[in-house]
Amino acid sequence: MYGGGSGTHQSKREMSLEYQAQISILRPSIRARRANMTVKFQDVHGFTVEGNVDDVNVLNEVREKLRQQCRVWWALEANKGVNWYLETHVSSTLKSSLKFSALVNAITLKRLIKKGIPLNFRPKVWFSLSGAAKKKSTVPDSYYNDMTSAVFDMVTPATKQIDQDLPRTFPGHPWLDTSDGHSALRRVLVAYSFRDSDVGYCQGLNYVAALLLLVMKTEEDAFWMLAVLLENVLFNDCYTYNLSGCHVDQRVFRDLLAKKCPRIATHLEGIDFDVSLVCTEWFLCLFSKSLPSETTLRVWDILFYEGANVLFNVALAIFKMNEEELLVTHQVGDVINVIQKTTHHLFDPDELLTVAFDKIGFTTTTTISKQRKKQEPAVMAELDQRLRRLNSLHENGDEN
Amino acid sequence: MASSGNKNINAKLVLLGDVATGKSSLVLRFVKGQFVEFQESTIGAAFFSQTVAVNDATVKFEIWDTAGQERYHSLAPMYYRGAAAAIIVYDITNQASFDRAKKWVQELQAQGNPNMVMALAGNKSDLLDARKVAAEEAQTYAQENGLFFMETSAKTATNVNDVFYEIAKRLPRLQQAPNPSGMVLVDRPADRATGASCCS
Repeated sequence: MYGGGSGTHQSKREMSLEYQAQISILRPSIRARRANMTVKFQDVHGFTVEGNVDDVNVLNEVREKLRQQCRVWWALEANKGVNWYLETHVSSTLKSSLKFSALVNAITLKRLIKKGIPLNFRPKVWFSLSGAAKKKSTVPDSYYNDMTSAVFDMVTPATKQIDQDLPRTFPGHPWLDTSDGHSALRRVLVAYSFRDSDVGYCQGLNYVAALLLLVMKTEEDAFWMLAVLLENVLFNDCYTYNLSGCHVDQRVFRDLLAKKCPRIATHLEGIDFDVSLVCTEWFLCLFSKSLPSETTLRVWDILFYEGANVLFNVALAIFKMNEEELLVTHQVGDVINVIQKTTHHLFDPDELLTVAFDKIGFTTTTTISKQRKKQEPAVMAELDQRLRRLNSLHENGDEN
Repeated sequence: MASSGNKNINAKLVLLGDVATGKSSLVLRFVKGQFVEFQESTIGAAFFSQTVAVNDATVKFEIWDTAGQERYHSLAPMYYRGAAAAIIVYDITNQASFDRAKKWVQELQAQGNPNMVMALAGNKSDLLDARKVAAEEAQTYAQENGLFFMETSAKTATNVNDVFYEIAKRLPRLQQAPNPSGMVLVDRPADRATGASCCS
């Protein structure tokens, strides 16, 4: 939709279609300006969002930037070849065979990804750069179809939970909330629950898989993206039976916030606000329930390229952007309001990503891994202790 | 609002219960007066607040609506820590959710704030034909364990506000007040009575 067409005629036609779309969005907003109220409209991925005139204008600017980026990507393809962005693996090849062009491509790619991958490039760029393509290539072509047909009528705790969640995943979305959308999401989640029995199905993945379906267009590609995400991109214990990885991430994040935003951390601690109260959902849904859809996908652009550290940087940025407001909060509710007001209205991805990657010192995945290793024993001990305490409670309860 | 003798209390309240028992729907009904057939599944927990007036006091509930899936239970202590009240929710059409509710009660009794006001809510009371848990059974259980019990329906709004109001009435109010600005502890008479005149 956003790709400049192959000929001038086509791109003009697309431009005019885009223009009409903008007018239909702007029309209620002009009235809204007079009434100074919020309007509901559909964003580029079909989600209904509420916002004021400024938000609508920001969204239109974002669309315009997407169009510009699209032209850049087309031009690069024309110059460097269709798969130019795959020839960037400087780190994985021997230094001696390092080619200058690969290095140039790597720098270009990194910069481009920060600016956002255009909608029609996203499926193939994500699929290649995340490692999903490689993962898929190691199994027979029929893997996904065999899997879905083998397990479609099986009933497990995971499938029961998945069935409950299908109509509860972005209800009201024009495609996800249809029988086609539900069936596709079901097949992806059920197939994955059988592929990885440690994870099975964890609530939260419904939102992640739903967005993957919207971006990737095909179920099979969405399935492989989910697989590479859980098995390679993220730390592999995040969604397991006791969410131990999630506990670890929260501890690491708390320390990181204390280091990078000490004033905020001290203040929140002073009013007894545990940042995990808001961060847990961010990390488990990869922001898909908190940020506007295109902003979420812009975070994912970088996530699939750089790794799980991106989640930490973005979470830090959300706090950092609200520093002054957060410092005058007194109650839990105030903090939540400040944070939610920001996340729900972050229609301009660059506003967030600039803070996340330019203003806060970058945190690498290696640093996060090290910190996670440090926290793991304490988390395991805590979870184990809780389990033992509950078991003894239940045993006593059953005896009575 | 009357300025004399009024008390403003903040009370942290947590909802716990099995998946899809209607925790979020109860909150949505209480806070916004709305009901939707398919409520988004809650991840981690969601925060809401709502203020009610009981007698001469207002109670501002800070509500943590938690995720129901089993693996999320390890996060629960973060939400019930320091809570003044809890609503443990089960679905009257689902026996397993009632069993799960009992486990929550045990956990809160052992780990939660000892003065916590606990309510047991048998939700989806509009689905009488599909009932699996008898009201008498739940009532008996609640009595034995020091909870108060109501069957609720977020869909029809039956008893939803009532649960929250009943909790508000039962809060050991003055102990919970975190607001330091000029609060006078009425039930501590002699020692500083004359000087503390800010509320008169």
